[in-house]
Amino acid sequence: MTEKIDLDNIPEAAIVPKKRMRFSVVWIIPIVAALVAIGIAVQRILSEGPTITIVFKAAEGVEAGKTFVKYNDVNIGEVKTVRLSEDFTKVVVTAKIDKSAEGLIVEDAEFWVEKPRVTLSGVSGIGTLLTGNFIGLKMGKSKRPRHNFIGRDVPPAITMDQPGRIFILQADNLGSVGIGSPLYYRRLNVGQVIGYDLAGDGKALHIKIFVNAPYDKYVTNETRFWEASGIDVTMGASGINVDTQSVVSMLVGGIAFETPSLLKELKPADANAAFTLFRNRATAMAEHETVITPYVLYFNESLLGLSVGAPVTYRGLPVGEVTAVGLEYDQAKDFIHPRVDIQLYPARFMAHVKKSAALEEQARSESGRHVFMQKLIDKGVRAQLRSGNILTGQLYVAFDNFRGVPKVKIDWTKTPAELPVMPSGLEDLKTKINDVLARIDKIPLNAIGEDMKKLLAGLDGMVKRVDREVLPELKTTLDALKHVLKSTDATLVGKDAPAQQEMREALQEVRRAAQAVSGLVDYLERNPEALVRGKTQEKSK
Amino acid sequence: MSTGVPTGITSGFVSCEACGLLTKPVNVHEPGHCPRCGGKLELRRHNTIQRTWALIIAAAICYIPANVMPVMVTSTLTSVEEDTIISGAVLLYKYGSWHLALIVLIASVMIPLAKLAALAYLLITVQRNSIKDQRERTRLYRLVEFVGRWSMLDIFVVTFVVALIQLQPLMSVKPGLGSLFFASVVVLTMIAAETFDSRLIWDSSNCKEEQND
Amino acid sequence: MSSSFIEDIVACPGCDLLQRIPVLSPGGKARCPRCGHTMAANKPDSLERTLALTVAAAITLVVANTTPLMGISVVGRHVSTTILGGVLEMWLQGQEITALLVAFCAIVAPTVYIGLMLVILLAVRRSPAPSWAGFLMRMLDLSQPWGMAEVMMLGILVALIKIAEMATLVLGVGIFAVGALIILIAAMMASFDHNEVWTRIRWVDEESQKMIASAELADIEGIRP
Repeated sequence: MTEKIDLDNIPEAAIVPKKRMRFSVVWIIPIVAALVAIGIAVQRILSEGPTITIVFKAAEGVEAGKTFVKYNDVNIGEVKTVRLSEDFTKVVVTAKIDKSAEGLIVEDAEFWVEKPRVTLSGVSGIGTLLTGNFIGLKMGKSKRPRHNFIGRDVPPAITMDQPGRIFILQADNLGSVGIGSPLYYRRLNVGQVIGYDLAGDGKALHIKIFVNAPYDKYVTNETRFWEASGIDVTMGASGINVDTQSVVSMLVGGIAFETPSLLKELKPADANAAFTLFRNRATAMAEHETVITPYVLYFNESLLGLSVGAPVTYRGLPVGEVTAVGLEYDQAKDFIHPRVDIQLYPARFMAHVKKSAALEEQARSESGRHVFMQKLIDKGVRAQLRSGNILTGQLYVAFDNFRGVPKVKIDWTKTPAELPVMPSGLEDLKTKINDVLARIDKIPLNAIGEDMKKLLAGLDGMVKRVDREVLPELKTTLDALKHVLKSTDATLVGKDAPAQQEMREALQEVRRAAQAVSGLVDYLERNPEALVRGKTQEKSK
Repeated sequence: MSTGVPTGITSGFVSCEACGLLTKPVNVHEPGHCPRCGGKLELRRHNTIQRTWALIIAAAICYIPANVMPVMVTSTLTSVEEDTIISGAVLLYKYGSWHLALIVLIASVMIPLAKLAALAYLLITVQRNSIKDQRERTRLYRLVEFVGRWSMLDIFVVTFVVALIQLQPLMSVKPGLGSLFFASVVVLTMIAAETFDSRLIWDSSNCKEEQND
Repeated sequence: MSSSFIEDIVACPGCDLLQRIPVLSPGGKARCPRCGHTMAANKPDSLERTLALTVAAAITLVVANTTPLMGISVVGRHVSTTILGGVLEMWLQGQEITALLVAFCAIVAPTVYIGLMLVILLAVRRSPAPSWAGFLMRMLDLSQPWGMAEVMMLGILVALIKIAEMATLVLGVGIFAVGALIILIAAMMASFDHNEVWTRIRWVDEESQKMIASAELADIEGIRP
C-alpha cells in the first residue's frame, strides 16, 4: 500500500554554505618561491667552506673578489678582502675556501703568492701573466684545521708532494750553493737544495736537501756529499787535477754524492739524517779512518813547499797526511825549529799487508801500535822530506828504510810522539850539483881544445893523401870487378847458360823431395800411428 | 550644437590624480588636497608645457654626446678600442648577430629620438590648440609612456659587460662618458612623459565648447 | 564652504571626460569612450592574489639580488657578478652617476614597489586601512614606471651574447630569479585593483567622508549613466 506523499511537507535540503577557502590556489606561487629560495640558501650554507686569513709581507696582484686560491691548478677558494694590518706593515688577506677543499686547510699548510719569478732553478709563474696572480697552497700533513696563516714570501721548493727524502748537510759555509741548486748522483740530477739555515750556535750551516725517489735509496749512512760546483782544480803533490759535474753546476752550484764502493751493501739512510758537506770529491771520498794516530816531526831544513794535506808515504804508498806545518820555540834550547804534525792511519799499514788476525789486533790497541812503530824505527825507518813535484815545488813526507842510522827510542810520553827524521837529500843535491859544476870547471878544456885542433889537422892531411893516392888504385880495382861480373853474367844469366840448367835440375829435385815430405806429413796427420808402426800400404813411387 | 561633452574642467571638478576622487573645490585654481588620499590636487599637471619643453630640450642636448662619445672602452693587450652605441651595433652586425644589432639600434638610437619627436609634436599641437586627431595623439602619448623605459637597454648591456670583462691585462672594458649622457636622455624623457598632461590634448575642444557658449 | 566630491563619477585621466563606472563582471574592463583609457577593471580576488604574488616576488627579489647572475670563464680566469656587483663595478670605473641610475632602476625601484605593495595589501586586509596607506599608494604609483627589471633582463641577455663569443658562460641562479621576478611583477600589476584598495582606505579628511554627495549635487548635463 503506497502512502500518499504530502508535497507540501517535503523538507528542504539544507543549503551548505559555500565554504570560503582560507587560502586560494594562488598562494602556491609564493610557497613555491619560498621553498626554492630556502633550498638555494640551504645549499649555499651547506657548501660554505671555511674563511681563512693569511698575512703576507706583500701581496701583489691580489684583489678582493678577483684573486683565487689554487691548489694543484684547481680553484679552491676566492679572496674576499685585502687590507693592511693594524701596524701597516703587512697585508691581511681573507679568503673563502670551498667546502670541498676544507681538508687542505690544516696546521702546516703553506700559502704564497704565485707571480712571475726568476729564481736559481729557473723562471716560474709565467702563466700568471695570463691568468692573473693567485695564491698557491702547499698541502700540509697535519690533520688539525687552522684558520690563521702567515704567508710565505717565496713558494716552497717542493710544492707537489713528490716522493723522496730530506737530508741535512753540515758545512762551514754556503759556498756556491743556493736554494734550487741541483743534486747529482753519478752525474744524474736527482734532487735539489731546498733550504738552509745557521746552526743554533752559528758555527756551522745546515743545508737541507731533497733527494727524489727512487734515488733516495742510494743515500746510505756511509754516503759522502761534496760540493760539485764549478770546476774543481786542485794542485797537489800528485799534480794538477780538474773535475766538474756539469755545466749547470758550474753556473748555479751543485752538490754531488757517492757511496764509497769498497763498503758492502748498506741500508738507506733515514730521512733527515745528517751528513758533512765536503769541499771536493777527493776530500769526500778519502777513506775515513777509524784510528788516527798523530805524530810530530822536527825537520832541520826548509819546509817551503810542504803544505797541509800533503801525503805521508811509506815506501811510496800513502799512510797518512800532514796536518800542520809550523815553527816551534824550544824554550830549553832557546831555539826555533821547524815542526811538522802528521797523522798516520795504522789501518793503511795493514791494508797493504796480508791481513792476519794478530796484526789487526795490534793495530787496534794503542800499546800494540806503539810496539809496532818502535819495531819499524828499530829497523831503520825514518821520515824524510822529498820533492813530489818539481813543477810546483811541492814536498811530501816519506817514511823509508835507511841503513846505518843510530837507534832511536820513541818517547811515548810526549803527545804527539816524535818520530825520528832523516835529512832529506835535497840539501845534498844542491851541494852535489855544486860539486859537479866545480869539477866541470876543473876540466882542462883548453888543453883538450888544443889537442883536438892537432888531431883535426892530421886528419886533414890524411884525407888529402887518400885523395891523391888511394883513389886511383880503387878505381882500377873497381874496373876489374866489373869485368868479372860481366863474365859471370853470361855464365849464369844467359838462356842456355850451363849453370842455369844445372840449377834448374837441382831445384826440381828439391821440389820432388818437398812433395814427398809433404805427402808423408799429410799421411802422418791422418794416421799418426804410422810413426810407430811404419807405413803398411804405401807403395813406393 | 548642444551642450558639449562633460569634462571635469568645464564642470569645475578636479580629479585627484592619485585616487581618482572627483572633488568640486571652491577655487578651481587652488583646489587644495584630496580628502580621500591627501594628495595635492591640481587641475592640470603643474606647469606642464614649460616643464615638458625644458626636459625635452635638455634631453635633446644630451642626445648628441650620448651618441658621439664612446659608451664602452675595450682594452686588450694590443689595442684600446672605443665604441659608441652605433659602432657597438655595427660590431654586433659584423659578428653576425644582426638581430641583436637591430634591437640595440632600435632601442638605443631610434626610440629616444622618436620619443623626443613625439613629445615635441604633442606639445606643439597642444600649444596650437589643435583639435585634430585627438584620439590618435592620446594613443601616441600612451605609447611614449610605455616604450620609453626600453631605451635603458644599452646602459644595462654596458653595465654587465663591464662587470664581467675585467681580465687585466688580457682584456678589460670600461664604461665611457657616453653612457652617462645616454642614461640622462632616457631619464629626462621619462620624466618629461610624466610632466606632460595628456588632457591638454582634449582641452582645446573642451574649452572651445565653453568658448562657444 | 567646503569642497564637495563625487564618488561614483570619475573624470578620465586621459581626456578629462566625466563618466560613471558601470558594474563589471569578473574580468571585465571599462574604457573611456572618448580616448580609450582603461577606466576600471574587475579583478577577482584581487587583494588576495596580488598579496600572494607580492610575497613570491619579494622572495624572488632577494634571491635575484644575492645570487650571482652568471659567471664567465676564460684563460683560466673566472669572474661572476650579481646585479649589485655590476653597479659597483660601474661606480669603481668612474661612472658614479650612471651607477646610481642603474641601481635605482634595477634595484631600488622594484624593491620599493614590491615593498609598498606588500605593506598596502597587508594594511587593507583589515578594512578600513589607516590613511597613511593612501600616502603609500601614491608612492606606489610613482615608483611603478621606474622598475625596469625586464629591460635589465634583455640587457643582460645582449651582454651575454656579446661575451659568449670569447668566453665560456655559466648561468647562475640569479638570472633565473630575475626572469621569475619579471613574470611575478607583471602578474602583480595585472591582478592589482587600484580602486578596490582605495575604497578600503580611511579618508584623510574623515569629516568629508561622511558627506557623500550624490549625482544630484552636480547638475551636470550629459553625464551618461
